[in-house]
Amino acid sequence: MGLAACGSTGNQGAAGSTAGPGNAASNQPSSAPSAEPVTISFIHWRGEDAKVLDGIIKKFEAENKDIKVETQVFPSEQYQSTAQAKLLDGSTGDVFTSFPGAQFEAIAKAGLFADLSGEPFISRFTPGLIQAGQKDGKQLAIPYQLVYNIPIYNKGLFEKYNLEVPKDWDGFLRVAETLKSNGIIPIAFPGADIGPGQFMNPMVMNNAPDEDIFVKLEAGAAKLTDEWWVKTLSQFKELNDKGYFQKDALGTKGDAAIALFTQGQAAMLATGSYQLAGNAAINPELKQGLLAPITVPADQAVFEGIHTTTFMLAVNSKSKHPNEAKKFLEFLSRPEIAAEYANGTGQNVTVKDVAYTSKELQIVAEWTTKKTRFQPRFTIKNAEVQKAVLGSIQAVLGGTDPKQAAAQAQAIVDQQIGK
Amino acid sequence: MKKRVRLLPFLAPGLALYLVLFVYPTLTGFYYSLTDWDGLSPSYRFVGLDNYVSTAKDIVFKKSLVNNLKFMLTVVLVQTVMSLLLALRLAKQSKRNIAFRALFFVPTILSSVSVGFIWTFVYDPSLGLLNGMLKSVGLEAWTQNWLGNADIAILSVAAVQAWAHIGQMMILFVAGIQAIPNELIESARLDGANPFQLFVRVMWPLLAPAAAIVVSYSTIQSFKAFDLVFTMTGGGPNYSTEILSTYIYNSAFMNYTFGKASTASIYFLVLISLITVLQFRALRTDRVSD
Repeated sequence: MGLAACGSTGNQGAAGSTAGPGNAASNQPSSAPSAEPVTISFIHWRGEDAKVLDGIIKKFEAENKDIKVETQVFPSEQYQSTAQAKLLDGSTGDVFTSFPGAQFEAIAKAGLFADLSGEPFISRFTPGLIQAGQKDGKQLAIPYQLVYNIPIYNKGLFEKYNLEVPKDWDGFLRVAETLKSNGIIPIAFPGADIGPGQFMNPMVMNNAPDEDIFVKLEAGAAKLTDEWWVKTLSQFKELNDKGYFQKDALGTKGDAAIALFTQGQAAMLATGSYQLAGNAAINPELKQGLLAPITVPADQAVFEGIHTTTFMLAVNSKSKHPNEAKKFLEFLSRPEIAAEYANGTGQNVTVKDVAYTSKELQIVAEWTTKKTRFQPRFTIKNAEVQKAVLGSIQAVLGGTDPKQAAAQAQAIVDQQIGK
Repeated sequence: MKKRVRLLPFLAPGLALYLVLFVYPTLTGFYYSLTDWDGLSPSYRFVGLDNYVSTAKDIVFKKSLVNNLKFMLTVVLVQTVMSLLLALRLAKQSKRNIAFRALFFVPTILSSVSVGFIWTFVYDPSLGLLNGMLKSVGLEAWTQNWLGNADIAILSVAAVQAWAHIGQMMILFVAGIQAIPNELIESARLDGANPFQLFVRVMWPLLAPAAAIVVSYSTIQSFKAFDLVFTMTGGGPNYSTEILSTYIYNSAFMNYTFGKASTASIYFLVLISLITVLQFRALRTDRVSD
């Protein structure tokens, strides 16, 4: 019954409210200077960035004596439940963050994003990288981080066995076979948590080059039982059956997979660029690169990889201090501040003209010129559909026939979309 | 009657808490179960019983229910049997027994999130303690992908749930055993009862009230389990450990279908009430005196 208790909190916004949710901020702007410093609340889920962000906030406060920033960090799961409920009354999260996809859609529907379109600092971001924060022609949030959700590979091991980055599926299988025959696990796959959600992206990108494929799935115009997904599942099965993932991949969590990779037992790690800095911290000797499995013949490959823009910064439409909140976003968007964040946290950013100093961030920077597409998983707006898609991968790795796994997942999708 | 009225002010604080913390959220939950509220939006529609119909038809809800029943049966069985055996062994007052009881009670006071994380490492198929131990004693064939195998994952988590609360149940049985008059046991022994007969004919009927509490408590606790499943498997692989509480959480906070989540909560409440009533009827303590 705890759920109902949460519901009563939500009622503040729900009970018979006729005013547009976006009106609260505009009704109560606080641009007038006051004697007392204004405190704005900043909530996010990246505890690992807290130290760097604290340093940045100190600089911001030194420059803006009349504004204090109070930060609250929630673990990402908790952020989905607790934090976003706090946004409803405007007392928390003057500046907040959002994931792209289902969460962004829900918050947008609730009208909790203040419209940032036309703010001068928007021009400091690479336009193509902040689209995930747009809806109905408005810039509602600004993705701050740039991530490539493709496997990391051990360049040293590839050099040792004279392997080149494969350009097609047969080449990928040959590379995996060579590694396996030399006693190296080709791919460390964290199947118990993030693996399916990360690795599905490059696996599907060329099997279904239509960037709206999952939008069509949710509209009922495409099905998981179609060739593009069954083929993707079959290729997952092929990798698993041939022993190219570590044994019992479905029981392996992220930390264990990272350990296999950083210790040199595995040649690829099916996560994403966000892990480069973490790997380097564990094993500074590692020479790392990024590669995406190309699941089609080379001449049919449309995309080279996957990118995601996330950690979307936004201003709460119910904030009592929208101007101060926007000032803080303006500060974060300055290239020198974004560089401080990027180099301090090991994450690339969407801000233009940022100087990356670390080797790992430079690896990612190389990818900005390649043909990548936005993470397909995040184009699924319904979380239950997303879960069904990922579940079908787990089912195949657990031994279910790809067609059957696809059909089971499609049944859940049909139910969700009311077909 | 007058006396009862005079007692009312003393009951008021408790009653108020009960109304605020249980009755009001339950009624609010029921109210939202009749809407399509997403949990965030300022507006919603009344959809009548639509959520009740769609939830009842939901494939994932049905899977969650089946998983929850498997989970509950495993936990209740393991917990009741193990805690009873431990209680029989440790009921006598001695320093050693008290120390062992404390040892078995320790998992109960740990947070279930911590327990979940610890056991995730224990269960890890390649680096975990459990498979490592099996290998070290020559039982490599028994090693499993404990949380990654959809056929056994729910049982693996249920075993942890049972382990974590065995101490609690053991204490209830210990109290029950200690309440049995010594004379009864001595008389039975003098009449030539062997240990099995002593247990079945003398102790078990007198332990029925404790057993009723253990089984009911274990049922409710296992039905409401959330933290362990959430931290250990997140409901996977492929929904094989999805239970009602994770279904409700996902519906409300991941899929933004708060109305539907409220409906599932109401189903959950009805189901757990029904099971508890049936259990109490089955284990009616007045049968002891029949």
